Amino acid sequence: MKTDISESKALCLHCHYLNDVDDHICKRCESHVSQRKENSFSLTLAFALSSLIFLIPANLLPMMIVTTLGVDDASTIMEGVLYFLNHGSAGIGIVIFVASVAVPVFKLSVIFYLLIMTKIRGKKNLKLAMKLYRIIEFIGKWSMLDIFVVALMVSMVQFKTLATIVTGPAAIAFALAVVLTIIATENFDSRLLWDEGKNGSK
Amino acid sequence: MESSCHECGAIVEMYHTDEDHQLECPRCSAILYRSGQEFTLIIVVALSSLIFFVPSLLLPVLTMNIAGMSQTTSLLQAALVFFSDGYAAIGIVAILTGLTIPAIMLVLIIMILVPIKIGVNPLKVKSVYNLYLHLKTWGMGEVYLVSVFIAIIKLQKMATLNIGLGLYLFTAFLITFYIVIVWFNPNDIWEKNEN
Repeated sequence: MKTDISESKALCLHCHYLNDVDDHICKRCESHVSQRKENSFSLTLAFALSSLIFLIPANLLPMMIVTTLGVDDASTIMEGVLYFLNHGSAGIGIVIFVASVAVPVFKLSVIFYLLIMTKIRGKKNLKLAMKLYRIIEFIGKWSMLDIFVVALMVSMVQFKTLATIVTGPAAIAFALAVVLTIIATENFDSRLLWDEGKNGSK
Repeated sequence: MESSCHECGAIVEMYHTDEDHQLECPRCSAILYRSGQEFTLIIVVALSSLIFFVPSLLLPVLTMNIAGMSQTTSLLQAALVFFSDGYAAIGIVAILTGLTIPAIMLVLIIMILVPIKIGVNPLKVKSVYNLYLHLKTWGMGEVYLVSVFIAIIKLQKMATLNIGLGLYLFTAFLITFYIVIVWFNPNDIWEKNEN
């Protein structure tokens, strides 16, 4: 199969014009062109690892502290999910669990799997890898759901003495973890999966 | 025209499909070309979407009653609480990705398409175009909308709620925003110039 590497071409990712590999400025839109995203592997790995680190406090520390009549009630993500499951709103519980626990873990596992795949020669499961890549590209932003919910609840419930809601430290850690995974996915160049030979691991 | 697949690097023959079909990469099935709508139509819908946006920020989304006390919130007020509360980081992320970026994307689309419609060379709007492509990843309006609904369901347990006009307008804003994003194919601005 002919590829951009075998034909010495480079695709402009801004306007999708096919340039010669020696052109560093796109002939059509004058943006910067390179054959593969630069430092794709190391950048993706770096952002994915930092995201992994932030996921730990995000799950252990309280996400939101509800004060009702002077009584504090701090809850982590999982406690929030369990609250909904036990109080008859299983639907919302599942939505929050999927968006804030399952999706981030799934995304990071897929990123690490894809990074390993770029280093393996003679692979067979490329169609599956591409499917996984497109899934994480699509669902990435949905992990922000819980952050938005906390943000909205904090700002809407301000009854001073009666009831207040404050964000917990986990909210910042979680938001950072999600943003870092999105940046990691952005930096990943899926063409590395298909490249063979000595150009493949660039 | 010869091009290469942006997801797997295979050399492919590019041609334009009609509105009901899209061109897929024979090797990795990435979508290579999807027909966009007329620029005039996109500009019109983008403008109407922006018209929904401004009042949706200012009008009340929700009125809450707890034990005789009542509180009305608009999306803008909800956003501003964070800055007085010491959690500016979360506030900024939520406001940027949920509200500001979708609105900026619409303004950028208008800034790209209006000059091209008049006949200006696309190279002149190159920087706006590249900014639009970067922001596309960070527009999370639809996630924000779903989170508004979840927050409302959660709050129902604590208080009596009345939904305000702001929420309906915000929903209308996001629906029209999505229509614009789906209809606008960024690559079209270069191709239409060549023909």
